[in-house]
Amino acid sequence: MTLEAGGAGRNAPAHHGGHSENALQARILVVEDDPDIAALLGRELRGLGHTVDAVHLAQDALQAARGNDYALMIIDLGLPDGDGLDLVREMRGRAIEAPILMLTARRKVEDRVMGLSSGADDYLVKPFAVPEVRARVSALLRRPVGLRGNRLAVANLVVDCDALEAVVEGVSLPLAFKQFQLLELLARRKNHMTPKRVIEDTLYGFDDEVSANSIEAHVSKLRRALRVAGVGAAIETHRGIGYRLVDLGAATAN
Amino acid sequence: MRQPSPEELRQLDPDGHFGQRLAADCAAILALRERSDREALQAIVHRLAGAAGTFGFTEVGELALMIDDRFTEGLPVTPGEIGTLVAALLRGIQEDRNSA
Repeated sequence: MTLEAGGAGRNAPAHHGGHSENALQARILVVEDDPDIAALLGRELRGLGHTVDAVHLAQDALQAARGNDYALMIIDLGLPDGDGLDLVREMRGRAIEAPILMLTARRKVEDRVMGLSSGADDYLVKPFAVPEVRARVSALLRRPVGLRGNRLAVANLVVDCDALEAVVEGVSLPLAFKQFQLLELLARRKNHMTPKRVIEDTLYGFDDEVSANSIEAHVSKLRRALRVAGVGAAIETHRGIGYRLVDLGAATAN
Repeated sequence: MRQPSPEELRQLDPDGHFGQRLAADCAAILALRERSDREALQAIVHRLAGAAGTFGFTEVGELALMIDDRFTEGLPVTPGEIGTLVAALLRGIQEDRNSA
């Protein structure tokens, strides 16, 4: 595998010299078979203070993504050993959740829709302007971690927001739709308090009747379902404030 | 897309590698046109479609995109269209050398 890595500042063009707009320094994987485009992206991202790993084959990209915790991946669609769409699908299937910026010369609407449907978070058409790449990278890196993926992992629980399914060690939890919505919300905000008002707004529309204890009832049923399934996470109640899903293993370790 | 300034272009391709690649691509396209090697020609045109505009070679990029679309849709690409791309490449290479 050819993994061309470079730390922050390595080969950094002088014209960038310490971008204060990018306080966040991230490790980024660039998957691009055009050596000039790959070099350009590497220079720009390193100039922004990021660490960049560059590969040009899909199989190397998968290996790199499985072995490293990237904050962002930039993936070209046309790779010598496979289609970037298949690579993105495979990464998402393996619960690799780093944001993906897809790069391609395919610029039809249906191509862009297919790219985003495969699991990419953003889509940039070649030729591109370098300032636009910088802006999109910054925007993707600013996203809260909990909003980045559609497969949310908490302890041994995986909440698949595309399949509308919560799975524990291969077994699907029998949840009603409102309970699944509640679980998704709490999983996205895992270890953080979620006010009851936010839960009501997520589960119910303006015109829905919400009884006084309906949220408590959903929480109670969800809590029981998690316990019965042996989920290593639990819902805490903080009276007068809201609810929090905590990873019991992490809580014990802390 | 906005045309980068000469200074921005130098920053995009500081070692002049892309300019050298254009010359190599131009020679390869001419040879492949002679051999009517559509597949190899499409590969070069596709890479140019993706990269030329990014490095500021707007005319080359736009022509390559147009021809790449024809290849992708299975439409015939005429020697005249390839000739237009080659002419744009030669202009781009010359301008790149003049600005170096």
